[in-house]
Amino acid sequence: MKSFELYEPKNVQEALVVLKTHGNKARALAGGSDLVAGVMKDWVEGTGMPMPDALVDLSTIPQLKGIKADARGITIGAMTTLTDIIENKEVIARIPLLKDAAHSVASQLIRNYGTLGGNLNQRPRCWFFRGKDFDCFKKGGDFCYSVSGDNRYHAIIGGEGCYIVHPSDTATALLALNASAKIAGPAGERTVAFDNLFVGPGVNILAENVLKPEELMTEIFIPNPAPGTRQAWTKLKNRQVYDFAVCAVATAFTVENGTWKDGRIVMGGVAPVPYRALVVENAIKGKDIKAAIKQASAAIRTVARPMSMNAYKVDIAANMLERTILAGLA
Amino acid sequence: MALKVDALKVVQDPAYAASLSDEHWQALTDDPEWNLLVGEQREMVEPVYEIYGHRLGIPAPRPRGEVLLAQAQLAQAQAAAKPAVVADAVAGGGAGGFQVVGTRVPRLHGYGVVTNVGQYTQNMRMPGMLHTRTLRSPYPHAKIKKVDLTKARGLPGVIAILSRDTLPAEYRDVKLGSGPPDRYLFNEEVFEVGSPIAVVAAENEHVADEATHLIEVEYEILPATLDMMEGTLASTVKQWESKEDGTIIAKTPPLVRGNPDGARADINLDSVLTRATEQHMPLEMTNSLMYWDQDRLVAYYTNQHAHGSRSGLSQALKIPVNRVRVIQPGYVGSGYGYRSGVDLAEIHAAILSKITGRPVKNMYTREEDFVTRTHRPEFRNEMKFGVNRDGAIQYGQFRVFGNVGAQRGGAANGAWFIMQTLYKIPNLKLEAIDVFTNSFKSGPYRCVSHPNGTFAMEMMMEKAAYAIGMDPVEFRLKNLNEEGNPETKKPYSNSGVRECITKAAEKIGWKQNWHAPRAKQVRPGVFHGIGLAAHSCSHGGGTNPATGQVIVNSDGSVQCVSGSTEIGPGQRTQMAMITAEALGVSLHRVSIATYVDTDNTTDAGSTSGSRQTNTGGRGMYEAAMDAKRQILQLAAEKFVDDAKRKNETLQVAAADLDMRNGEIFVKATPARKQPLEAVVSAYGLPVLGRAIYKQDNDWERAAWAAHAAEVEVDTMTGSITVTKYVAAHDVGRAINPFALEQQIEGGVVMALGAALMEELLIDRATGLPLNPNMLDYRPPTILDVPETIDVILVEKPKAYGVFGAHGIGEPPMAPPGPTIAAAVHNAIGVWMDSMPMTREKVLAGLRNVR
Repeated sequence: MKSFELYEPKNVQEALVVLKTHGNKARALAGGSDLVAGVMKDWVEGTGMPMPDALVDLSTIPQLKGIKADARGITIGAMTTLTDIIENKEVIARIPLLKDAAHSVASQLIRNYGTLGGNLNQRPRCWFFRGKDFDCFKKGGDFCYSVSGDNRYHAIIGGEGCYIVHPSDTATALLALNASAKIAGPAGERTVAFDNLFVGPGVNILAENVLKPEELMTEIFIPNPAPGTRQAWTKLKNRQVYDFAVCAVATAFTVENGTWKDGRIVMGGVAPVPYRALVVENAIKGKDIKAAIKQASAAIRTVARPMSMNAYKVDIAANMLERTILAGLA
Repeated sequence: MALKVDALKVVQDPAYAASLSDEHWQALTDDPEWNLLVGEQREMVEPVYEIYGHRLGIPAPRPRGEVLLAQAQLAQAQAAAKPAVVADAVAGGGAGGFQVVGTRVPRLHGYGVVTNVGQYTQNMRMPGMLHTRTLRSPYPHAKIKKVDLTKARGLPGVIAILSRDTLPAEYRDVKLGSGPPDRYLFNEEVFEVGSPIAVVAAENEHVADEATHLIEVEYEILPATLDMMEGTLASTVKQWESKEDGTIIAKTPPLVRGNPDGARADINLDSVLTRATEQHMPLEMTNSLMYWDQDRLVAYYTNQHAHGSRSGLSQALKIPVNRVRVIQPGYVGSGYGYRSGVDLAEIHAAILSKITGRPVKNMYTREEDFVTRTHRPEFRNEMKFGVNRDGAIQYGQFRVFGNVGAQRGGAANGAWFIMQTLYKIPNLKLEAIDVFTNSFKSGPYRCVSHPNGTFAMEMMMEKAAYAIGMDPVEFRLKNLNEEGNPETKKPYSNSGVRECITKAAEKIGWKQNWHAPRAKQVRPGVFHGIGLAAHSCSHGGGTNPATGQVIVNSDGSVQCVSGSTEIGPGQRTQMAMITAEALGVSLHRVSIATYVDTDNTTDAGSTSGSRQTNTGGRGMYEAAMDAKRQILQLAAEKFVDDAKRKNETLQVAAADLDMRNGEIFVKATPARKQPLEAVVSAYGLPVLGRAIYKQDNDWERAAWAAHAAEVEVDTMTGSITVTKYVAAHDVGRAINPFALEQQIEGGVVMALGAALMEELLIDRATGLPLNPNMLDYRPPTILDVPETIDVILVEKPKAYGVFGAHGIGEPPMAPPGPTIAAAVHNAIGVWMDSMPMTREKVLAGLRNVR
C-alpha cells in the first residue's frame, strides 16, 4: 500500500479544511472496508482518481454517528454503522425496507464496521475498474473494457461509455423511501434529495454522485412513509454472504382496495445509479396490482439495453419486480 | 518428575480429592485420564460428538469418561487383584477387534488449529527480517526490454532488489517446472500475466509494495494465445519449436479397445461438456520465512511435502539436499495439491536472504496466490456415446482437451481412468490433448483431471439413461465393472462401488423421490429435482516412499517420527492411531509432533494423491511392527529371566507373545503378562522401529464413491439450491471415522463451489485476470451449502491397505458436479453441459425448453 497521512479531525469543519487542502488527493475514511481494504490495497488508481496522500478519519467526529427519530422522520448520521441501523427500533418500525437492505449487505463483520455514508459512497465493483491494469474511463483512462469484454454483471440500463452498476443496497432502498442527504462543504451545508444525488457516466464518468472532493456527506434524512405504506426488499445475489446484487428491487407504495395508489420502485444492480423504474410505476399506478403486475413488470424490458452477456438480467429484473411487489402487497 | 495422582480416585473419592495439593491438581491437568473424566474431552469434545451424531442421525458414542468410570466400577465390584493401566483400557472399542482403529478421535493438534496457539508460518517473525514484494508482468506474452530500478532503490527502507539484471550469475540458468517454454527465475520472454519481473526486499511489506510501483519496465508486447481451442489451430502462432499445431503441447497416444469406429448402437449421443478454471483458495496464503545458517538454508514454508520442497530448493540453489532444511509446521491453511514443491518466489526469497544476510519473509497476496500459482485447468470433453435400448453400453469415443495454461502440471488424460474402468464399455476410444495458452498455469487441485473425467462420464451415463427411458441408478448398476482394469488386467481389491451407489440411492430416497423431468413444482416457478452420480479414480492406494520410525522410550511412551506433512485433514493424528494399533498400545501413550523437519525425518511422499494413509501410514505401520518384533523379543527374554529368578522354568519365544493395551502377554496363557514400560526399562535403551517400505504392484488401486442430491431450481431467477446431499465412499477401512466424515464433507462443499459458482476468468482482450479475489471468484459460504451432508462410509477392506484402508482426500471433489447436473436436469429438463452451473446458463437453457 502507498504511504499516506492520516488526519483525525474533531469536527466536520476540521475535516473540511483537510479535504480542501488536498483536493482529490484526500479521501474521507469511514469504515475503510472499500477504501483501504479495497481501492488502496489493490492500487485502484488512474489520472482521474489518484491514490490518496491523505485520509481523513471520520470516526473521530462523534456528531456524525447516531440515529434520531422525530415526528417528521428519521435522521441517520453518515458514520452510523449498518449494524446500528439494522438494530434500531425506529428504523425497524417505520422503514423496514432500509433495515432489510442494510441487512443484505456483505457480512456481519463488515456491517459492524461499514457505515451508511461509506455504503452510499463506495466505488463500483466493475472488475475492469477494480483491476489495476485496466486503465478505464472511470479512472480517467481512455477505454471501457466491458463493451467487448465479459459484461455478465454490467448495466442493462443507462450505461453511457461506462457500464458499472451502482453497488449500494442502502442507496436503492433510500431512493425508494424518498430520502435526502445533507452535504457539508467549504461554502456551508446543502441538502440533496436522493432523486438528485446520483449521477450516471453521461454526467460525470469519474464519480457516482454529486459530492465534490472537498465535500462530506454528513447525514441522511428519511421522511415518515405515508400511513399504511407497503415496503419490500429483494436482493438476488450469487452467494448468500459477501456479495453484491445481481439485481435488487426496493419498493414502497400505498394501496387502496388492491389498487396501486402511490409509490416508488427502485432497482439496484442494473444501472450506474440506483434506478427508479418509472416505466413500471406508470404502468401499475391506479391499477389493480394483482391483475396488472405481470404486464407492468414486463415494461422494464422496454427500457433495458442489455450487453453481449447480460440479457439474462433483463429476465431476472422483470421476474423480481413482480415477486417483490407481490411480496409487498401480501 | 510429575506427581502421580489417581484421576479415577479423585472422581470417586471426595476424601482423596480433598487431600490433594495444588501441585497434584496441576499434575492432573496434563493427565489424559482426567481429561476424559472431567477435562476438555468431557466438557468440549464429547458434547460436540453428541450434537454431531444427532445431526447425522447416528448414535453418539458413549462418553469415554463414563466408559472409564463404568469399567472401574465393574473392576472394583469384581474385586480384581490389580487394576489395569486404566488409560490403556479406555482406548479400546474400535470395531472388528481393533483397539484404536475405528474410534472417533478428535484431531490431536486441534486445539492449536482453532486457537492461535498453533504456529502458522504466516505468523512467524524473526528479528531483522525483510519483507518481499514482486513486480509482475501485466502482459500474457511479452519481451522484457528494460527494467529500471533507480527510483525504487531510492525509496527509504528498500534493502535489495532482484531482477534479471541483478540476479547473481550462478542462478541465471536455473529453471523450474517442465517446459516448453522454459521458466527461468526471471524470463526475458514472459508467457503469462504474473511472471516475475523484479522482487523487492524491504524493511516492511508496505515499503516493498510501494517500491514495486516505482520500477519502470519497458515491454515489447507479443501475440498471445488465450483461448484453448484457438491454440489447437494450425494457423495459431507457435511460441516454441513444435511439430503439433498451434500451441498444442502434448497429445497422448489414444487408448483403443474393441472397434470403436465400427460399433453401432440404438441411441447415439453426442455432447460437448466443459469445465472452467478453478483455484484452491487455501485460507493461509502461500508464504515462507527463510534464513541461512552459515552454508545451510533454513526454510519455514507452507507446503504439503517438506522433502519435495527441499529438493526443489536444493536443485535451484545448486546445493545438496542435506544443506537445505525445510520445516512445515503442521499448522497450515491447507494445500489441496498445489504445494508439493516450490515456486519461483521461494527461490527469489532464498537468494535475497543469502545476498542480504537477513531472514526473509515472503508472503503472497491473495491475487498472487490466485494468479501465479497453479489451477485446475479448463477442460473440454467431446463425447460420443452409444447405448442400446436394453441398457447395454455399445461404445464410447471420448476426446478430452485440457487448457494447461502457461505451464503444464497435469494432463487431460487423467480424465481417462473413470472412462476406462468404471463401466463395461466394449468399444472404446480415448484421446487427450493438452493445449498451452498464455493463461493460468495448471497443476493439482484435489486431483487434477479425475473430477473432469467423472463429470464427463457421468453426464453421458445420465443422458443415456434418460434417452433409453431407464432409471439412471439401475442403468449404472447394470453396467458396472467390478473386476479390474481391462487394459492392465490388474484386479480391484474388494470393490465397494455397487454398495456406494445403492446406499446413496437408498439414503436420498431415490425410489420415492425420483420423477420425470420438470414434474414436481414445489412453489410457483420453483422445481424439485434429484440426481446421482458414481465415481472411480486411481487415488488413495498409496505410493512410495512409505517410510517411518517409531521410538519406544524406556518409560514406555511411544514417539512417531514421520515425514508425512499435515495439511489439514489430520493425517498426523491418523499416523499416531495406526502406530498405536499396530504396536498394541493405547493412543495416549503415543505422541507425534505437528511439524515435519527434513533434518530428522525420512521422505514419506507428498501429502497429495490421497496417499498419506497408505504411504506415511504404511511407513508408520511397518515401523511399529518392526518395534513390536524387537519388544516381543526383549519381553520373551525377560519372561524367561524373571521365571529363572523365581526358580521356575518357562519356555517362551517372541512368537508366543503379543502386545495389547500396552501389555505383553503369553498368547496361550494371557494372564501371564508384563507392561511395556517394564520390558523397555529393563532393557535400559530405547527401541527404534523403522521402515523403508516398497508397495506391491499387484492391484488396480481404485477409489469408489456415489453421491446423490436433491435440488430446487428457481426458473424465475435461475437459482439452484441444494437441499439435501448424500456422499457414500468406499474407504476400505475407516481409521478415524470422525476425521473421514469431515474430509468428505469438506470435499463436497469445495466441489459444490466448483459445480455452482467458481470460475477464474480472464479478459479475452488483454489476458488479465478478472476475478482473482474471494469476493468476485465466490467460494461458497456456509449459507450456500446444504444444511445436511449425509456421509456414508462403505468399508470394504483392501488387500493393499493399511488395516484395509483406502485414501479419501480427493475422491469427494469429483461427484458433486455431475450429481448436481443430474438433479437440475431432473428438476427442469435442462442439461447443464458446462460447469459452473450459473444462473445465466440455467436461464439460457430454460429459454430453449420453453
